[in-house]
Amino acid sequence: MSSYDTTDSDEHPLLRGLIKVGLFLLAQGIAVLLVAFVALLVSFGTGWSATTEQAGLLQPGEARSGSLLLKEDGATTEAIRLGTDIDITVSGPTLRARVTQVFRNPTKDWVEATYVYPLATNGAVDTLKMVVGDRVIVGDIKERQQARVIYEQARSAGQKAALTEQERPNIFTNSVTNIGPGETVLVQIEYQEPVHQSGNEYSLRLPLVVAPRYNPAPIVQSVDFRKDGSGWGATNSDPVPDRDRISPPVLDPAKAAPVNPTSITVRLKAGFALGEVKSHHHNVKIESPDASTRVVTLADGAVPADRDFELTWKPAAEKAPSVGLFREHVGDADYLLAFVTPPSAEQATQKPLPREVVFVIDNSGSMGGTSIVQAKASLLYALGRLQPNDRFNVIRFDDTMDVLFSASVPTDPAHLGEALGFVNGLQARGGTEMVPAMRAALTDKLADTNMVRQVVFLTDGAIGNEQQLFETITAMRGRSRIFMVGIGSAPNTYLMTRAAELGRGAFTHIGSVEQVEERMRGLFAKLENPAVTGLSAKFSDAKADITPAIIPDVYRDEPLVLAAKLDKLAGSLEIKGRVGDRPWSVTLPLQSAAEGKGLSKLWARRKIGDAEVARTLREMTPDDSDKAILALALDHQIVTRLTSLVAVDKTPSRPAGEPLRLSDLPINLPAGWDFEKVFGERPHLTPTQLRERHADARNLPATRRPTPAAQDAVRLPKTATSAELKMIAGLVLIVLALVLFVFSRRRPLLTDAA
Amino acid sequence: MSRLISPLVLAILGLILFGDGAYIHAKAWLAQALLERAFDRSIATGQAVKPWSWADTWPVARVEVKRIGASAIVLEGSSGQALAFGPGHVDHTPEAGERGIAVYAAHRDTHFRFLRNVAIGDVIDVTRSDGQHFRYRADSSAVVRFDASGIEATAQGFELVLATCWPFDAVSSGPERYILHATLIEADR
Repeated sequence: MSSYDTTDSDEHPLLRGLIKVGLFLLAQGIAVLLVAFVALLVSFGTGWSATTEQAGLLQPGEARSGSLLLKEDGATTEAIRLGTDIDITVSGPTLRARVTQVFRNPTKDWVEATYVYPLATNGAVDTLKMVVGDRVIVGDIKERQQARVIYEQARSAGQKAALTEQERPNIFTNSVTNIGPGETVLVQIEYQEPVHQSGNEYSLRLPLVVAPRYNPAPIVQSVDFRKDGSGWGATNSDPVPDRDRISPPVLDPAKAAPVNPTSITVRLKAGFALGEVKSHHHNVKIESPDASTRVVTLADGAVPADRDFELTWKPAAEKAPSVGLFREHVGDADYLLAFVTPPSAEQATQKPLPREVVFVIDNSGSMGGTSIVQAKASLLYALGRLQPNDRFNVIRFDDTMDVLFSASVPTDPAHLGEALGFVNGLQARGGTEMVPAMRAALTDKLADTNMVRQVVFLTDGAIGNEQQLFETITAMRGRSRIFMVGIGSAPNTYLMTRAAELGRGAFTHIGSVEQVEERMRGLFAKLENPAVTGLSAKFSDAKADITPAIIPDVYRDEPLVLAAKLDKLAGSLEIKGRVGDRPWSVTLPLQSAAEGKGLSKLWARRKIGDAEVARTLREMTPDDSDKAILALALDHQIVTRLTSLVAVDKTPSRPAGEPLRLSDLPINLPAGWDFEKVFGERPHLTPTQLRERHADARNLPATRRPTPAAQDAVRLPKTATSAELKMIAGLVLIVLALVLFVFSRRRPLLTDAA
Repeated sequence: MSRLISPLVLAILGLILFGDGAYIHAKAWLAQALLERAFDRSIATGQAVKPWSWADTWPVARVEVKRIGASAIVLEGSSGQALAFGPGHVDHTPEAGERGIAVYAAHRDTHFRFLRNVAIGDVIDVTRSDGQHFRYRADSSAVVRFDASGIEATAQGFELVLATCWPFDAVSSGPERYILHATLIEADR
């Protein structure tokens, strides 16, 4: 190096130095680029291929955990077995059902079993009996908390006990405790229900399974203040606080044989000569002892409890009676039940107003399988029925929502074509966020008072936050009327009836594709014809407590159903209203009422429903409505939100020291449902699925959707790179190197010169 | 000769460091170019298109602030790997245009360098990969800690948050984040 320096240093030393520095910088530049791109490629390769799992998407543990956990083979074969026998007697306008659940314990342990099951929405549950061996223990009605305490005391004392609690007006839980090894305990409940009538057809609907509900993540926060009045409280942000109580384990039909065999017998005493009697979703055997009586049993013996049982009957005569009046004397009061079908308006007298119809279709995962087919068929039928001067819009929702047109559009071929394409392309998946869809449907953008505004809502109603939906309807209904179409094999009838009631509309059920046309035709008759409005009822002599307090409008072919408690059975009942634009009235002499059964219970049940509605409408404070409900429930021995039935066998059976095992009885998936659509499947991380990530994310268990974002605020990722730091440090080093280099070149020069 | 060894070693070290820093920028720039192409195809075909065959993410939206001529392609997910190539759509937040708060995060020194120039009142355009177009207006900004952002993804409104590291000119990363909040003013579905 030194010789090199000395030979060159004589001629242009500075120029040489500069060239060297220049070359060095050039080489450095090339090296930087090379290093950068090599590093880039290496980083692309390793960095990305190492990402085999995406956090937040793959949570197999979550997808398979919790109340929806499938029991493995070993567990299910060793679990408590349940059989159900249902015996229904229809007497004219009412029916009484006796549901016997047989809990058999084939295991070697002492067991406590809980079973979540549905009942008819309008049913008044008034009797609980527990049969142990040859002893029958009759249950008492108690306030809910008190009943629970009694039950738990019996449980720890080793006594057999049964408890019936209401979770929703149509969901109940039976708990039975201290069932010994090899023992069988029978639990029997009874309820009273009015027969449903529509036009010429009478029907009863017997739900057999609670469909898995979608319980939305908390959105709206409410506050629970401490009872001591200190002003401090905690936010309660769960719209479905009792989600655990309405989410029993559900069996995957692909992995387990159906459970809960159910046998059904219906003794039908219609009170008139019967025509067609039809079971819509089950094969039945029908015997006819006489003209007005039928005995209906399941043709194939017991069936798995996986769909609603629906029975309809028609009178032999052309027209069903348009008036029915029934009475019952209980205690010191008379109870009256009246059915009146108003005459249908003459079409010619009035040209119907044009309508604005907003169709809302639920395409959530619970609608997967046959339900979405029925819903689509119904909606396509409905679109076809629109008149040229009507306007319409279509909204679809799962846990997301699309409104097809920004405002309702005229019914012309272009818009209809677009709507048909939209509906045909729908696929069922995701959760069921019903409230935003209802809100969108009720938003009255046109505000055209020359049009009748109607919302047709197609859903299975498989949600746990019914109350939130009711509040939305109450707050936003305006002049819109809501017509509910219950879809599928096990729709939430409570949601349908209450939503239609609050929305001053009507509801119908569609349980199979074959029913679509008939039921939708019936619904359209209601949509297209003027309702009977301004209804009022007056008793001439008797002092009466009438329910419903405010009589709703009655649509075509529907009867007006009134229940009343009277101080004496005298005088007459006059009902007035307007059919279209014409006044209408009818007077019924009370003396001609026929004897009926369980009418007092129906009256009380209806009053309880009124109190719940008044609470939703804010016409009653929660405290007042609770008080009213409790008084009625205790008076008439009915299970409600606030009262339960409890039965305790005083004879202790479980020896002290023997452990007790808890068993949540599994239920079937409703028929026609798609298990994976509801509970999600384990996501496979293959490239083809990656691009459908949103679909995957939605397929995660709808009822137990992972909602970390909802609970805590979003955590923001690290968003600074070390690029600047590295480049600065690198530059500093390079400059340092240059300085050193130049310095080392200078030194010999300086020494030479010296 | 020996006098040149130390500057050479220093120079190589400096080179590697500089190169390391430069490749972060090179990667960010190259990836955006590839993403731009994938995103256009995405809109045209209506399907998610991966920017390069072995990529594990895909473009979900284009975010633009026309006033300052800034634009970036947003990727699904906000892992460190995704953020190297573009802004990330933070997991568990809704898509832009849906109810709730959509959160996009990116590095302050690459894709969201422009965030410092965005003023309150600026219009932020978001084009989703399904072609739907949403227009937001920036209405507030804040500096928060990464674990106390106060962003509730399930908010009732239709909102957007752009997040990056704070302070803008720092060279090391810290716990503070700058968030720019915007509200939907126009949706073109």
